[in-house]
Amino acid sequence: MKQDKQGIWIGEKDLTKDPEFIKAASQEFAGENLLETMGANPEATNLESTRRDFLKFLGFGLGAATLAASCEIPVKRAIPYVIKPDEIVPGVANYYASSYVNGGDYCAILVKTREGRPIKIEGNSLSPITKGGTSARAQALVLDLYDLNRLREPSINGEEATWDDLDQQVKQKLAASSNIRILTNTILSPSAKAAITEFTEKFPNAKVVTYDPISSSAQLDANEESFGQRVIPNYKFEEADVIVSFDADFLGTWISPVEYATGYSKKRKIDPKNPKMSRHIQVESRMSLTGSNADNRILVKPSEQGAAILALYNAITGSGGKVSGLNTKAQNAIAKVAEELQAANGKSIVISASNNKAEQILVNAINNALGNIGNTVTFENASLQRQGNDQDLAELLSEMRAGSVDTLIINQANPVFDSPMMGEFSEALAKVNNTIALSYEHNETSALCNYVAPVNHILESWGDAEPKRGIISTIQPTIAPIFNTRQAEASMLVWADSENYDASSEQAYMDYVVKQWEEGAFAGQSEYMSFNAFRDNLLADGVLSLPDGEGGAVAFAGDVSSAAGSISKPANSEMEISLFESINLGAGQFASNPWLMEMPNPVTRCSWGNYLAVPVEFDGVRKMIGLNGLKDGDLATLTVNGNEYTVPVIQQFGQMPGTVALALGYGRTQAGRCGTGVGVNINPEIGMNEDYPVYYATNVSVSEKIGKEDNFSCVQYHHTMGVKSEDEKTGEMINADEAALVAFNYGVVRQGYQGALTDRSIIYNSHVDELEENLEYLHDKRHHAQKLNDDQIYPGYDDKYAMGHHWGMHIDLNACIGCGACTIACMAENNVPVVGKKEVKRHHEMTWLRIDRYYYGDLDNPNTVYQPMMCQHCDNAPCENVCPVNATNHSSEGLNQMAYNRCVGTRYCANNCPYKVRRFNWLDYTTADIFPANQPSLTDEFVFGKDNMTRMVLNPDVTVRSRGVIEKCSFCVQRIQEGKLTAKKEGRKLIDSDVRTACQTSCPTGAITFGDMNNKGGDLDKKLDSPLNYIVLEEVNVRSSVNYTMKVHNRSESLDA
Amino acid sequence: MRNILKIKFLLLVVLLSSQFTGFGQGSPEEGKTLFRNYCATCHAKNMKTDATGPALAGVEERWADYPREDLYRWIRNSQQMINVEEHPRALELWNEWKPNVMNAFPNLTDENIESLLAYINVAANPPQVAGGPADGPGAVQEEESNTIYYILAAALVFLTIILARIISNLNVIALKRENPDAVVQRKTLIETLTSKGVISFLVFALIVIGGYKTVNTAINLGRQQGYAPTQPIKFSHETHAGLNQIECQYCHDGARRSKHSVIPAANTCMNCHEAIKVGSNYGTAEISKIFASIGYNPNSSTYIQDYATMPEDSIRDIFTTWIADNYISENNLAELDQEGENVVEEQWEEIKSSLTNEVKKEIPGPIEWVRIHNLPDHVYFNHAQHVTVGKVECQTCHGAVETMEVLQQYSPLSMGWCINCHRQTEVQFQDNPYYEAYEDYHQQLNSGEKDKVTVEDIGGLECQKCHY
Repeated sequence: MKQDKQGIWIGEKDLTKDPEFIKAASQEFAGENLLETMGANPEATNLESTRRDFLKFLGFGLGAATLAASCEIPVKRAIPYVIKPDEIVPGVANYYASSYVNGGDYCAILVKTREGRPIKIEGNSLSPITKGGTSARAQALVLDLYDLNRLREPSINGEEATWDDLDQQVKQKLAASSNIRILTNTILSPSAKAAITEFTEKFPNAKVVTYDPISSSAQLDANEESFGQRVIPNYKFEEADVIVSFDADFLGTWISPVEYATGYSKKRKIDPKNPKMSRHIQVESRMSLTGSNADNRILVKPSEQGAAILALYNAITGSGGKVSGLNTKAQNAIAKVAEELQAANGKSIVISASNNKAEQILVNAINNALGNIGNTVTFENASLQRQGNDQDLAELLSEMRAGSVDTLIINQANPVFDSPMMGEFSEALAKVNNTIALSYEHNETSALCNYVAPVNHILESWGDAEPKRGIISTIQPTIAPIFNTRQAEASMLVWADSENYDASSEQAYMDYVVKQWEEGAFAGQSEYMSFNAFRDNLLADGVLSLPDGEGGAVAFAGDVSSAAGSISKPANSEMEISLFESINLGAGQFASNPWLMEMPNPVTRCSWGNYLAVPVEFDGVRKMIGLNGLKDGDLATLTVNGNEYTVPVIQQFGQMPGTVALALGYGRTQAGRCGTGVGVNINPEIGMNEDYPVYYATNVSVSEKIGKEDNFSCVQYHHTMGVKSEDEKTGEMINADEAALVAFNYGVVRQGYQGALTDRSIIYNSHVDELEENLEYLHDKRHHAQKLNDDQIYPGYDDKYAMGHHWGMHIDLNACIGCGACTIACMAENNVPVVGKKEVKRHHEMTWLRIDRYYYGDLDNPNTVYQPMMCQHCDNAPCENVCPVNATNHSSEGLNQMAYNRCVGTRYCANNCPYKVRRFNWLDYTTADIFPANQPSLTDEFVFGKDNMTRMVLNPDVTVRSRGVIEKCSFCVQRIQEGKLTAKKEGRKLIDSDVRTACQTSCPTGAITFGDMNNKGGDLDKKLDSPLNYIVLEEVNVRSSVNYTMKVHNRSESLDA
Repeated sequence: MRNILKIKFLLLVVLLSSQFTGFGQGSPEEGKTLFRNYCATCHAKNMKTDATGPALAGVEERWADYPREDLYRWIRNSQQMINVEEHPRALELWNEWKPNVMNAFPNLTDENIESLLAYINVAANPPQVAGGPADGPGAVQEEESNTIYYILAAALVFLTIILARIISNLNVIALKRENPDAVVQRKTLIETLTSKGVISFLVFALIVIGGYKTVNTAINLGRQQGYAPTQPIKFSHETHAGLNQIECQYCHDGARRSKHSVIPAANTCMNCHEAIKVGSNYGTAEISKIFASIGYNPNSSTYIQDYATMPEDSIRDIFTTWIADNYISENNLAELDQEGENVVEEQWEEIKSSLTNEVKKEIPGPIEWVRIHNLPDHVYFNHAQHVTVGKVECQTCHGAVETMEVLQQYSPLSMGWCINCHRQTEVQFQDNPYYEAYEDYHQQLNSGEKDKVTVEDIGGLECQKCHY
């Protein structure tokens, strides 16, 4: 079924005009029970006050003021350095180039430190891989540093120990062992590998086993067989006209999403003079982040993936024929995809996330047949970001079960939770005599190990990374180790009694790494003559590209026919489940990070937990019905392979009927205060196929509703805009989310405002081929809106804005992929608090920047558009003129200012904001209040910003808001002021690079451009010319300063047939 | 105020007394300036302790055996007298103080030198002022003005009573005229005072006055103008910034480039105090605290290895030795006397208590100064903006720091005070290309329509310039 051309919807409730939702939308603070907020016992709270109460409060007020006035002001200390380091000026931030590495996850970063305290991550634009982009995970890295769940001391059998004791005992055990195994996730660091090599040389009976929590082992094996290199090739999305992805979430989680997103967006941005874009086809069952960005989605069940790949192979090579078991619709679509791919003539990419070797060989064969190898899929400087080997892991497991492993060293991995066959792993672990965990935090694995050697955070470490062959990235510490920890590599070297490692040196591991560089990278380059110059430049830049020693020339040599023969047949079951890695929690590694935990899933918009995505179907009349009648937030019993799980449910548009999906990585049992017990652990249901884990199951059933989740923390219906409804009395369309009554036309009273306009401009979309007519339509709409608004409330301010600066923003919805890096960057930059699951349920999330997700097009298989929404800094701001205390007002630079200390918390402004971007501090989320009585205890919710250690992440340039005030996006005013000051100090005009907002710098696709609208010829000014631009809710005449672009897609109707 | 009066009084005494001394037509005021400019780098200000050069008190007596011209020449060029003339007094001094060479000051006239000597006399022998300085004319004036108010108030009360009486009489008369037979009973004083009108008025007055007081006190909450706490080190801005004219930003080096002006680190102090180990005011008592903080052994002029882990007894040994040696040489003793021991003990205890507190138990480590200027957390202030861009003098906000022996907060640091300055202060508009963005203002300035652009004009009063 099709919606009308510009029709967008958020979810089932607004699509079907659910009366409860409409009622909730009419109130700014929907879902809010004020009494519940005030106290635990609503009946006891009498909000009416009598004259006597008034006098009591008056008396108390006077008394308190008098008391406070007579109190002595506390003595504060100013503590200078004893010996001030040259590079530190208190109050001025220092940036250090480093790398974010977590297993195979990689991002080149700059670490912002203030007074020696890392507080923010920025992208490193010198990196040839990530090109300055970041991910939400990289942004959240800095909070991990101050995680309360960190290990603080070494321990032996659960007892705190000294390093000397630990080293001595471990060395003894190692010497007595006949079979040592080191289990690790992918190691990107050449120096760490050198350290492990020294270890294995010292203990020849030691063997390294590498696994990835979400395995790409089959792809690596297939690549080895096909091309002779066990690596991941480069995918040049910036050169691909057609992209076909078989379930690979390459914009969200697959291998190197930041890199891929950077390239991908280059082919998605629209030049209105010459509108061209790539076509992206996603073959999947669930709505992944990547799938939501795709032009077309071909729905196949997880078990049909192999058949689909084979069908594509057959269609391209013209061999074979129909593949049995694949649904007809997909069969037909894939035939057409094959035609498109062939037409693209070597400018296409076909990828698959499948962990099945035969399927990956077929994918390689397809790329080879299309002429992509060497063009868009290259092996020069190939990626090393996945190195896991599932066979090794399986072998280790059988050895452990047999009791033949004496000592197991687990290097910064959590196999007890995240390895496939996790249950068996912990059983087998019990049979190993000595277990040694090199771990950063308390987790399921460290809890079971005899020896726990705590590891530095990466921001406290020295090191390097080689995410791609020949591309070196440095890791340097930005803070001294906070606790009594030691780098994992250093521990290995100590235990191996390495001659190259001098433990008595002040920076022992630095010496080791630097020596590695001297012998390795320095020898391999010719630019620098002296090593010192080389080292200093390497540390300053953070990245270095060297020629690829192995060369990139490959020839396809895979055995296609046997691969095609061994493709597994699709299952014939009624229901299948796909198990996927979520963008925020990964395979569970990030569960103890509150920022990532509270970040809503970009697609389902759920936070604090994994929700079972169930398909919805249109009943043909009016209703969208979820699987088994399940609604959002219902609890259902999920049965997988006979195991029962109670899971909360979210209705998911675009989810293939007959399939459900659930994220991995939740339900951790040892993940600190934040991650423990949040969500459902579905890892045990990861299946095995010839030692390769498979991330779906076919023996699945879902029950009907068995209950309701207590705290349904999904934000998709929070802060909604432009909700329309039918007026009960008149049957006319009204604005449901603006309850104001407007009288016009001689007494006709209607709900809504501005003539009760119900046609609200929030999203405009167009097919790329129909761009011209849609731009005309957009132009007419804008013209109409502007004509409505000839009059201003406060005329005469334009002169003021024309002078100096007038800040504005441009957001390219064609570049935005919804990854959420900006939302975390905003939280880090602006001290935005984490509120917790219960508060999210009550619509109390404090995010200044949210990413609204709208669907459009086909109801059964819709397209998606992501819209980052923050304060629009309206020049006719409706929030400003309702503030009784003038706490929010306008600056001459066009900023909508918020003075927290003036705010008395009437919340009129939030009520009057059409964009719903103002947030109220219902509780003291930050413990910023000077009166302890106002602090948490009001709810049983844990206060995440309470601990002084966590508070070290706060940005000292931004006020920490206390309870009872409104806050919202400030356009990073602290950065604006800093940029202006830099220009003034240097005595020059302000340039674009002086002021960049946190969201802008974090974005991997360059979707956000901030700047001075008065700076003619600047970055922003150029973007403001585009005819694709529009202003959200332009018709309400608030004169916002943020421009969005029309969303352009390239959907092929022929694939839908 | 008191200090200034004291100094003025003192100068008066000196001036008068100098009229009667035989020589020296020099003016101590001029001498003070000269001393600051030429001598204070090497000679102690109190004239009584040795620094790089000897203590200057009694210099005239020591040269009394020689013609006064010799003293002049010695001050102008001492090396000449030592090497060429081999003047006996010169040689004596050289043997005592070599290799410290005194700078030559050939440009000093005889009058200059007389002034210097006069100042040295004054500074070395500050006359004892009998009794505390009177509260002065200021206090008297205040009393006078208060008396006027009292008289005025009394007159008004008197007037009120008379008027009340007249009204009451008139009422009685009026009543009598209407009804001559009526027995009119006058209200007693108590009845009047307890009447509704009076009580209402009193309550009203109480509320108004109370409210006014409450609001004013509330506004002043957290403000601490004039705050001059005792610091762990009796650091004198007068000596450093005034007498020695050290540029403010030499120590407060953040002011030009950061939001913080920065309290200097101990290693900044050591730039000078490696040479100046004994203070002119407090001798070893205060400067030793820097050494104890950073780990510098003044006896051997070396930095101490592994100072952070040094036991307290060893630290104690170093500094008590240093203090004792100085005491002995200063007082020309052969060994430490009883009083000396007390001095040593006292100074050591003072060092220890200044550098430790309930949180910081060890002596090594930073000096924890008491913060004087405390802006609330929600106020953003940036020194660089004001110092580098606005070219505002430090003294504009911090007062004449160079005259403050004990630093105090000069300005109220209230929002009104900030705003007022932003209204009045002219932006350094013309010579900074950054402001080219304000084209209209440039045109208006050129056409004479505007004579200056204030901070307010470019948005300096807006909330989010300081609050974010």
